[in-house]
Amino acid sequence: MLVITRKKGDAILLGDNIEITVVKVEEGSVKLAISAPKDVTILRKELYCEVTEENKNATISDVSMLKNIKK
Amino acid sequence: MKIHTKYHGVREYNEDDVITFKRGIPGFEELKKFIIFQVEDNEVFNILHSIENEDLGFVVVSPFYVMEDYEFHLTDRVIEELKIKSPEDALVLNTVTLSSKLEDVTTNLQAPIIINIKEKLGEQIIVDNGKYKIKHPLFKE
Repeated sequence: MLVITRKKGDAILLGDNIEITVVKVEEGSVKLAISAPKDVTILRKELYCEVTEENKNATISDVSMLKNIKK
Repeated sequence: MKIHTKYHGVREYNEDDVITFKRGIPGFEELKKFIIFQVEDNEVFNILHSIENEDLGFVVVSPFYVMEDYEFHLTDRVIEELKIKSPEDALVLNTVTLSSKLEDVTTNLQAPIIINIKEKLGEQIIVDNGKYKIKHPLFKE
């Protein structure tokens, strides 16, 4: 893993076509501008983790309760 | 072909019924092949079941059952990868998290599953527009 220090206005290049720029630094938070090709999915990691967790919750145990549900 | 599912008995399917999730489903990235069948005695819910793991299936529901004006943007990458040519190709389903209490049954509106029903290609995408919840109650009081 690379750990690197950047200042406001500095950027990082990932491969040939991804650029991440530090736009703003405030106490405890950093604002980033990411420029990447359209086929690259960019997600907040915690959201991905929440979906992973909810998918695990959604694996079926017993669907017999659904039989009683009618709209 | 047959699969002996843990919770839904033996299910028969054809090669043509198999939907490929090239990227897997978050949390189950190793599983790529799924089939869909209806929950017995219930027209609202379907099961998206792995054919690679006989214990693993998700209850899924159409988001439009929950919210008539559900909408999100499909990126060019997804449209291309799922080979979607027209809106009619795309089936949208959302996972349901069951609970013994009806009011605790939720559906994940933040991560719709998109399936190209013609090409049998699927992907679960994540919608980050601030409008939808991961745990949206399925039944109103």
